[in-house]
Amino acid sequence: MVDVREDILARLLEVVAAIPNIRSAYRNNTEIAENQLPAVIVFDGDEETSDTQDRPSNSPIIVQMTPEIIIAEQSDEVGSDLTTLRRELIKLVLFDTELNNLIAQSSPRGNGAIRYLGCQTDLGWMRSLHGALRAQFMFKYTLRPEQL
Amino acid sequence: MIDYSADLYDPIYAELGVPATMTAGATVANLIVLDKTRRKTVASGETRRKTVASGGAEVSSVGPGVNVRVYELAALGITAANWDGALLTFNGRSWIVRKGDVLGSPNGEDFGEVWLLLKEAAVG
Repeated sequence: MVDVREDILARLLEVVAAIPNIRSAYRNNTEIAENQLPAVIVFDGDEETSDTQDRPSNSPIIVQMTPEIIIAEQSDEVGSDLTTLRRELIKLVLFDTELNNLIAQSSPRGNGAIRYLGCQTDLGWMRSLHGALRAQFMFKYTLRPEQL
Repeated sequence: MIDYSADLYDPIYAELGVPATMTAGATVANLIVLDKTRRKTVASGETRRKTVASGGAEVSSVGPGVNVRVYELAALGITAANWDGALLTFNGRSWIVRKGDVLGSPNGEDFGEVWLLLKEAAVG
């Protein structure tokens, strides 16, 4: 059994947990307390396919998975902190050997990819200034139903 | 006309108020505050782009704040002109006033309360 989606998401959690100065890393955790900050959370991504060709139903198809990563922090310098954490996040994800190998192995013809799509921020006051940065990545891989 | 200061605020502050020290510039004042620090949460994900998101996170902390009688502050020489940035110590913690919302009163805002919203003094 090979489940590229799960392999990517599991590795993504390991990668984001390695961001310097991150205190906690979770997958799909929707409730974070301030003592766990700065925290990073990987949310399982939506998937889309663009395969409209008339082929057998179990043919390999190209999938674009777009997981979301939230970084939350609380400090008076939260803007700079989030910028720094974002920089490390992007570097770690795009250059991670294992993630790139997962993509390459699933798509040996070279049509796989990892892309940084962008980010949004949310800000608000709590004990000090709170900020969250939501970043999206796109993982393009080949889904092979016979391997599932 | 009801005297809200004498009939409402003063008895409440006498019963529930805690002593505090406010340092606003060169002014150091002892006063009584109502500790209004409460749990507060911030949701991350409300403005997410629909095409890429599958979840959001709620971060919980506290929203520190106090209520203070405006006329008590005025008697101590503290007004809206100088409470921003003041150091406020009560219940064993120190905070910085980041803004004050005047809450008003049927007798006029000068005889009502101000809600001082605070942030950690140790940060920044």
